[in-house]
Amino acid sequence: MEGFTTLLIVLGVLVLFAILGYNRLVRLRNMAEKAFASIDAMAKKRYDLIPNLVATVQQYMEHERSTLTEITEMRAKAVSGNLSDNEKVDLDNKISRAMGGIMVAVENYPDLKANQNFIQLQGSLNEVEEQLSAARRAYNAAVTDYNNACQMFPSNVFALVFNFKTKRLFEISEQERQNVDVKALFNK
Amino acid sequence: MKSLDEFQKFFNQVMMPDLKALDDRRKKIVNRSAIVILLTLLLLLLATVIYLNLDASKQDNNSVFYFILVLAAIIIGAIITGNNWARDKTFYSDFKQKVIEPIVKFVSPELNYEPKNYVGSDSFQRSRIFLNRIDRYSGDDMVHGKVDKTQIWFSEVKAEYKTTTTDKKGRTKTTWHTIFKGLFFIADFNKHFQTSTVVLPNRLGKGFLADFFKKMNFSRREKLVKLEDPDFNKHFVVYGEDQVEARYVLSTSLMRRISEFREKHPNHLYISFVNSFLYIAIAYRKNLFEPSYFKKMTRFSLVQEYFEDIQLAVNIVEDLNLNNRIWTKQ
Repeated sequence: MEGFTTLLIVLGVLVLFAILGYNRLVRLRNMAEKAFASIDAMAKKRYDLIPNLVATVQQYMEHERSTLTEITEMRAKAVSGNLSDNEKVDLDNKISRAMGGIMVAVENYPDLKANQNFIQLQGSLNEVEEQLSAARRAYNAAVTDYNNACQMFPSNVFALVFNFKTKRLFEISEQERQNVDVKALFNK
Repeated sequence: MKSLDEFQKFFNQVMMPDLKALDDRRKKIVNRSAIVILLTLLLLLLATVIYLNLDASKQDNNSVFYFILVLAAIIIGAIITGNNWARDKTFYSDFKQKVIEPIVKFVSPELNYEPKNYVGSDSFQRSRIFLNRIDRYSGDDMVHGKVDKTQIWFSEVKAEYKTTTTDKKGRTKTTWHTIFKGLFFIADFNKHFQTSTVVLPNRLGKGFLADFFKKMNFSRREKLVKLEDPDFNKHFVVYGEDQVEARYVLSTSLMRRISEFREKHPNHLYISFVNSFLYIAIAYRKNLFEPSYFKKMTRFSLVQEYFEDIQLAVNIVEDLNLNNRIWTKQ
């Protein structure tokens, strides 16, 4: 009889651990997903600025016409929806790069740089970029917590049993990571 | 930003005459105080000698009592008149006006100085750095104005709370505890944001247990924000209402700038970002911007300290790059 009671207690404790472990994993996963949603929200904010930017810039920029149409196309694709998370991320990176290119090209158009409309837009864009980067960092922090739980003992046991998979971190693209070559910018 | 060499020139050419005049007055105060103390001691000595020589048995007790009363009255009167004579009523306010104010104006002519004003307790509480109840609040030496595009306010403040204990005999005892004493700085931040983010000194270190206790801070409505800069994390713990906005405010470059600022200034540093304002509390043991009666006022090192303390606060704007207005907030 005594052995049976002990067995019951041990089982009870194990079940309790399993419940707590499972709930923790779910909570961490939800936080990571919430963080991803905030990246999405910031990305949408940026998409909303693109038509404005293109409209303001195209009167001045003659040589960058193709880049501008490209950006407009990418935006249309991004806004249309039905993209997987990975595709979204890839498209986002492409848009970032293209917009970075435009901002560098602006240096060649002093009239544009002095345009009040453009200055305001540039402020908004900088703001969205910074918010986007903040959202990505928040996502990476949440995913790191979640991945740690998936890989560290004892929670990794529950992750294995309940099939929780680790998530990918946002990598800073190779282009962003490179230091800005100021000299090259001036020699252009 | 003014260099120390420029300040040395300003000290020698502009401030010197006023400093000399003030130093003469300071010497006078010290000398007269010394005379008062000496005379008081002499008087006390005299009284003791007279008292010891009094043959109490030959006279009745009453007259001895009256004699002592009169003697005490004379001594107290002498101390009061002596103190009045030694005192210089306008010395303190003149010091603020002729030493601190010119330094403030030298650092930046756009700044205003109000010796008796201070950052209010409502701003102090709005910062959400210290959540204790405040029972006593005081301060002085308010400086405010614009540094290029950024509006700043700072002053010395002291916030305290009290505890009362009652012992067995029913006597109550009140004890005052300092919440914060030092420089409190406010600036209009260069980004818009709605939530609060608080950066506190990391007293728990790092590791699993430290992280656990950092997380268990239930006195705050802000939640722990884990940031990615290891050097920053070594010295600070961050709590924020919104994980994304906390990172929007604390960009990687601002974290690095805060770390560098901390290195320059070893005192405890508390920072918060609330409703588009930046709050910084820097703890000081000493009283800031006060005259010293026993140091020569014309000595450069003394005035240099006032200059450096003001400069430190004003330079926060540059150190944290607050004039960088590349976002929508102008």
